[in-house]
Amino acid sequence: MKTSRMWQMVPLLAPVQLLLLSVIVIPSVYVIWLSFHTSTFGQSASFVGWENYVRVLTDPGFHNALWNTVVLVVVAVHLEMLIALGMALLFNSGLWFRRILFVAVLAPYAVSEVVGVAMWRFLFDPDVGPVSNLLTALHLPLLEWSYEPSHAMIMIAILTIWMHLPFTFVIIYAARLALPSDLYEAARIDGATPLQSFRRVTMPLLGPAILVALLFRYIFAFRLFSEVWLLTGGGPARTTEVVAVYLYQEAFTFSAFGPAAATAWIMVIVSMLLASGYIYLLRRQVRNAG
Amino acid sequence: MRAERILVNAGKTLAVLLLLVWSLFPIVFIITSSFKPGREIFAVPPQWLFEPTFDHYITLWQRWAVFFHGLLNSTIVTIGAAALAVVASTCAGYVYSRYSSRWLGASLLSLIAIRLIPPIVVTLPLFPIVNNLGLADTHFILSVLYATFFVSLGTVLMRTFVDQIPRELDEAASMDGATLPVILWRIIMPLAAPGIIAVAVFVVVFAWNEFLFAFIFTSTKAKTAPLVISEMIGSIEGVDWGVLFAASTIQLLPVLIFVMLMNRYLVAGLTAGATKG
Repeated sequence: MKTSRMWQMVPLLAPVQLLLLSVIVIPSVYVIWLSFHTSTFGQSASFVGWENYVRVLTDPGFHNALWNTVVLVVVAVHLEMLIALGMALLFNSGLWFRRILFVAVLAPYAVSEVVGVAMWRFLFDPDVGPVSNLLTALHLPLLEWSYEPSHAMIMIAILTIWMHLPFTFVIIYAARLALPSDLYEAARIDGATPLQSFRRVTMPLLGPAILVALLFRYIFAFRLFSEVWLLTGGGPARTTEVVAVYLYQEAFTFSAFGPAAATAWIMVIVSMLLASGYIYLLRRQVRNAG
Repeated sequence: MRAERILVNAGKTLAVLLLLVWSLFPIVFIITSSFKPGREIFAVPPQWLFEPTFDHYITLWQRWAVFFHGLLNSTIVTIGAAALAVVASTCAGYVYSRYSSRWLGASLLSLIAIRLIPPIVVTLPLFPIVNNLGLADTHFILSVLYATFFVSLGTVLMRTFVDQIPRELDEAASMDGATLPVILWRIIMPLAAPGIIAVAVFVVVFAWNEFLFAFIFTSTKAKTAPLVISEMIGSIEGVDWGVLFAASTIQLLPVLIFVMLMNRYLVAGLTAGATKG
């Protein structure tokens, strides 16, 4: 490559790099500095070492938020994956109006978190909600999400699955469509039952796509904020807080910037651990494909 | 054998119906309810036949004028974010497609890693800085934030799309004396249009719907529509469901139609972005 062409690249790369540096990289590094200092608005900071981390890691409120987040990630993301896998197989098995159905199941992707919360709050409203009415008519227990923490968590899980299912479904369905059909032909000729060809052909070949989609969803479920904030505000009595809501409360409600920064860095580290797994899988797939 | 076929088809039909109810019922329900007169929203069982009325929309107009200002803000912020993200991603995507070096490869991976940092982390240091720079509550800051969180995906996508344009085209243009900006504008942008649309679709859906950044960085002047809706949900005098549904319908319909029309680009983008890195 000629040096003149090298220099032509710089202005082309600059906008992306500048945006990422100024909005994400430098602020994130500054959060490290914040996390080792104690400060609130208008006061000069003083160095406190690991104190903020110790405070966060020994705070029962943080343990609760972390536990809620982990439960949501594990339960909601895996449930979502199971449904998406089932949907992909259903769509692949030959359906009438497949194109229209596909667009229909994509619809929740367009819905904002705010409107999603408005919808599901009404559907499950204990007094007037249609789903609650249906449950009462069937003599089933109601979801008392406004004051029963475990019920609120179920609500949050339903909402996140509803909002993110289209994404997971598209990834898995695209991967399923990419599988060569002669493999299934061969399996059929060898006398494999549909269940056998699912276990021996579909699952092993879809495995990498499932892992990539799962890691991606772990990373995004781990930062969950709006759904929880708008649905319960972390209440009742901070019982349904997730890590991002805990961070928000520390920073913007209690002005405890040090502990909030420590929480933020804990989030970055966990996200980066998950991300390194994600990037490792991507690179291996690219290498195998190429 | 025949009975088995019928059973399988019945099972599939049932599954499809469940899926449709799950995906569409909440959406159809709030849209239709926004046109129901007064108490009929709460009818048990829900009424599907009623005389449509614009009552809730009129109330919305009278009591929540701020919502329509929010729609305008959302539109400005969304267009700004999409334009910024598209231009930045196309330029960078071109470089990553046409040149390769160890340094470039590493920086592409770092783009993907950076994008995975949770947005709430950067609100912490940005909040005081944005305030000091006088950028709080402006369309500019929201557009920049939204674009930034999509330039990584945008760059990766544009790289995949530019890869499909033969290098000979830029080389021939370069021989004829075209400069790099001309090549980008006349050759790359038109031929990579599907990629540009895919990037724009992502940014538009995200920027139009986003809550967290709007919640932290705006208060009055640049307040977006989702933020106004969140205030309706949290309103102390109790939720006026009819008005809330009317506002939700107005906020939702444009982006819903957009996603349905653009579903091909969305799918191309999702699969390329999440699995090709």
